[in-house]
Amino acid sequence: MIDPLFALLVGIGVMLIAGLVFWPQSGLFWKYQKRRELTEKVLIEDTLKYIFKCERNQKTATLESLAGALSTSQANASEILALTQARGLVDLSENSFSLTDTGKRTATQIVRAHRLWERYLADTTGFDEGDWHQQAERLEHKLSEEEINRLSASLGHPTHDPHGDPIPTQRGEWVSHGGLPLSDLALGTPSRIVHIEDEPEVIYAQIIAEDLHLNMVVEVDETSANRIRFWTDDQEHVLAPIVAANISVVPLPEENQDHQIEGVSLDSLQPGQTGVVTGISSLSRGVERRRLFDLGITPGTPIDVEMVNPGGDPTAYRIRGSVIALRSNQARLIKVNPKN
Amino acid sequence: MNSNYEKILKSARDLRWDIGVDFHEKTMEALYTDATRIADRAVTYPKEKPRFDLDRTIDKLVTSRVWGFPLMILMLTFIFWLTITGANYPSGLLFSLLIDKVHPLLKAGAASIGMPWWLDGVLIDGAYLATAWVVSVMLPPMAIFFPLFTLLEDFGYLPRVAFNLDHIFRKAGAHGKQALSMTMGFGCNAAGVISTRIIDSPRERLIAIITNNFSLCNGRWPTQILIATIFIGTMVPAYLGGLISAISVVAIALLGVLLTFVVSWALSRTILKGEVSTFTLELPPYRPPRILQTLYTSMIDRTLVVLWRAIIFALPAGVVLWISANLMISGVSLAEHLVNILNPFGLLLGLNGVILVAYIVAIPANEIVIPTIMMLTVLVTGGNGIGEGSGVMFELESGLATLNILTQGGWTLLTGVNLMLFSLIHNPCSTTIYTIYKETGSAKWTTIASLLPVVMGFVITFFTAQIWRLIAGW
Amino acid sequence: MDQKINNKQQKGSKVAGVSADCASCPVHHAANLKKLGVDMESWDFVVALAGNPNTGKSTVFNALTGLKQHTGNWPGKTVTRAEGGFEYGDNRYKLVDLPGTYSLLATSLDEEIARDFILFAQPDVTIVVVDASRLERNLNLVLQVLEITNRVVICLNLMDEADRHQMKVDPRRLARDLGVPVVPTVARYDEGLEELLAAIHEVANGETLAKPYQVKYDNPKLDRAVSQLVTQIEDAFPQVPNARWVALRLLDGDERIIKAVVDGELGELTYTRDDLEGASVSHVSNKSGFAQ
Repeated sequence: MIDPLFALLVGIGVMLIAGLVFWPQSGLFWKYQKRRELTEKVLIEDTLKYIFKCERNQKTATLESLAGALSTSQANASEILALTQARGLVDLSENSFSLTDTGKRTATQIVRAHRLWERYLADTTGFDEGDWHQQAERLEHKLSEEEINRLSASLGHPTHDPHGDPIPTQRGEWVSHGGLPLSDLALGTPSRIVHIEDEPEVIYAQIIAEDLHLNMVVEVDETSANRIRFWTDDQEHVLAPIVAANISVVPLPEENQDHQIEGVSLDSLQPGQTGVVTGISSLSRGVERRRLFDLGITPGTPIDVEMVNPGGDPTAYRIRGSVIALRSNQARLIKVNPKN
Repeated sequence: MNSNYEKILKSARDLRWDIGVDFHEKTMEALYTDATRIADRAVTYPKEKPRFDLDRTIDKLVTSRVWGFPLMILMLTFIFWLTITGANYPSGLLFSLLIDKVHPLLKAGAASIGMPWWLDGVLIDGAYLATAWVVSVMLPPMAIFFPLFTLLEDFGYLPRVAFNLDHIFRKAGAHGKQALSMTMGFGCNAAGVISTRIIDSPRERLIAIITNNFSLCNGRWPTQILIATIFIGTMVPAYLGGLISAISVVAIALLGVLLTFVVSWALSRTILKGEVSTFTLELPPYRPPRILQTLYTSMIDRTLVVLWRAIIFALPAGVVLWISANLMISGVSLAEHLVNILNPFGLLLGLNGVILVAYIVAIPANEIVIPTIMMLTVLVTGGNGIGEGSGVMFELESGLATLNILTQGGWTLLTGVNLMLFSLIHNPCSTTIYTIYKETGSAKWTTIASLLPVVMGFVITFFTAQIWRLIAGW
Repeated sequence: MDQKINNKQQKGSKVAGVSADCASCPVHHAANLKKLGVDMESWDFVVALAGNPNTGKSTVFNALTGLKQHTGNWPGKTVTRAEGGFEYGDNRYKLVDLPGTYSLLATSLDEEIARDFILFAQPDVTIVVVDASRLERNLNLVLQVLEITNRVVICLNLMDEADRHQMKVDPRRLARDLGVPVVPTVARYDEGLEELLAAIHEVANGETLAKPYQVKYDNPKLDRAVSQLVTQIEDAFPQVPNARWVALRLLDGDERIIKAVVDGELGELTYTRDDLEGASVSHVSNKSGFAQ
């Protein structure tokens, strides 16, 4: 029989090695996999996407900027470009390049896949907002056109991704969000967020950190060269103009200007208290939001706080005769007027 | 496509832009407004509402900070204790009937019609004995456990368990309704996996499916109960034996719950990363269960169904076992060859070759682990006079006699404890694996769900064994 | 299996709205029910069983078919569709137990299954089991079902629970407001099932004229959009019984309905309200099982 101490040490050693190889994200195995995924197909599609975005934004794509976007060398980039030309996806002239019709179609499909996947992640899964883009970047290359159409169908053919970017239709038609940058918004105009740019990531991270989301109503009360101060519900935000410029807003129509939801959060009520629903914050999205409405949490509904979990969360509420448990992060988004 | 249809869809698309994004909300609002109006007209309250609300009082108690968790554990212990002690006697009765009485009769009958020894062996010592064993060991505990569990279920207690556990599940990045599929898993993991359909989000549902195996299913309690009774129950005075055995089985079940949390947590931090999206759980009003009907339905719906499945798998397993024990390769039976090959690895894990072979044989159904172990142990140690020959599954009435055989086979308390651990933490049975595949439709997740627990089982038993041996100074 | 379903004289009085002298009801066929279990070779009518979770749908199902489907008390327990059969009067019925849902707007798989069955399988009768003690929540689903089909019987179940909560629910008032038969029951104790069967029988045989309640969407913009679509839908599918509902679903981007439009499946739905013309309106409250 093997000496237990020896076996124990060997065991710990094996576990350490296994940890090194398989540790999530940073493990060697996962890194190897990631590298393998970066195939020719992916590079070509990323090239098309990059040129496509430049064309839509009226910027000129250069070999240099392309290499930057693909995070590879210029030599590699030009090699890939040659491949795309050979496949009739890109027209190459002296110093510029543009997409052919086929190239445009392919690029549109990739953008469609990307945005639909983000929509899917946002609406029906619990993945972190910061992970949406990365996941979509990988999956846009893997989904077949048929899969994309099915995905779109299962989501009810959404028109915009969770950042507010339009999702091109199957035929490649686009709808623009028609918003203006938050940095250009006039003071004291209640406006709805219609788009949040998710690139570059550094700026996007700042926007997420402020808990800003699509369809929120904002009102700017101070604009200066180095800061823009604005309000959502009763929350104050301050952003640098360059960050604010990545948020697009549309002023609310006159009739809807009282869109701000009154009241306190449902989770601030104590057991035994009752509140009357005034609305559900726009932070609640997709299926989650639908479910809350389906449960009968509509404006004017009285809600009693029944009991609290031994650990403090979730809390059970009596809503239209049924006792329903909600976690505090959901209850927080339901606004109520407390009743005595 | 009909152009008319196309036109309809086109105008629907255009109109959608017009009517705005909150269409669904406006619809629900209108529906509820009308529903409220109609309901208000139809309902009157002729009397004052009563002061005392029983539902509310029970809810306050079972979810209270002080009593919520102790009540849950007490209830679980009580159910297991009732199952263990209550099943003892009928099990013995069935055993003596099916194995002590019917088996010799069958043997005699076979001999009188001149059946060849191998056919007699395959049919009576293999297939019949395996089935008889499974029936006598499984039927009584299931006939007690399922009705008790069903009563709790009909009463409306399970959603309260989910409510209480959600706090922990949320911290583990999982869905509170996983508590429901977990408790269903205590009955049968395949049923537990199917019941994860109540979880809408695919990420949380996968977590619930993968971790369902950590719910100790009915196929595994016979193992737990027997080992707990003969290794742990015999360490204390006889009158405490039943209770201590029940407590150690509950401890293993709770370890399974703990592992459910830990693995859910690990999964939601790694390959199934994310935060929990939605959680809405209805806590239905309590309804007094109808006891007789419950007994009847749980018998038909659960006990017999599960038992039938076990029998179906026990039959061929008995045949395979008998053949492998009697098929000689260079003088040693096939089963013995296998045991010898796996023995060094088994010992390293604080188990032995017999147990590992038994777990391979028992992939179709965990229920046959113990009879296989007993048979192989006798085969390997060559304990003559006990049991009835090669490849005969049998069971001894008294725990002490069983303990004797196992000790002869080199078993220690460590082997017993590690067997209990391994029985909790190993691959799901083939029915469950198939169910996982059907529910996820993915070979990848099925593989993960099947291999993750068995690897964890190896790791945990390995470290338990080494540390145990170091401390015990072995 | 032929067995008497209940003993009304003793139990009936427990149910509010069902008086003990119902023996004088025109449709009183005591002991006319034959539970067929899963034995359903052929049937004359298909009956769907819809309802919110935890309203005792499975109990009603078991009581009618004699099956012993497991009835746990937690939401989402019925994950698969159960089917069974029964014979009543001269007709054989196939009963399909749908998953319990709060709504039919197809937010989850359950809702989709229930909705698709009511819409596409076109059951001859849809029973909506309603928890009498939580009426307003349950009526939300009823109203949605009524938008899809008018062949509906409301089973106002758990009347004992309502009693326990000191509530008095008036089934006749409900029947008048909803425009479909409403039958109070306590399915756990087999109370009111006879009346439920009578109502099912009448609706299946077209003896009851339903005037289902229509939800009012207080939104001129939406109304315009709906009526525009309804005209188009009625042009393309003259037979479709619920154009308004289809229009609303299309406006919500409901994929299943879009697909039904695309492949013309919608055109195969044929029940029109005219089918039931001829039965008198008074049947609605008279014949649904409670004495006047």
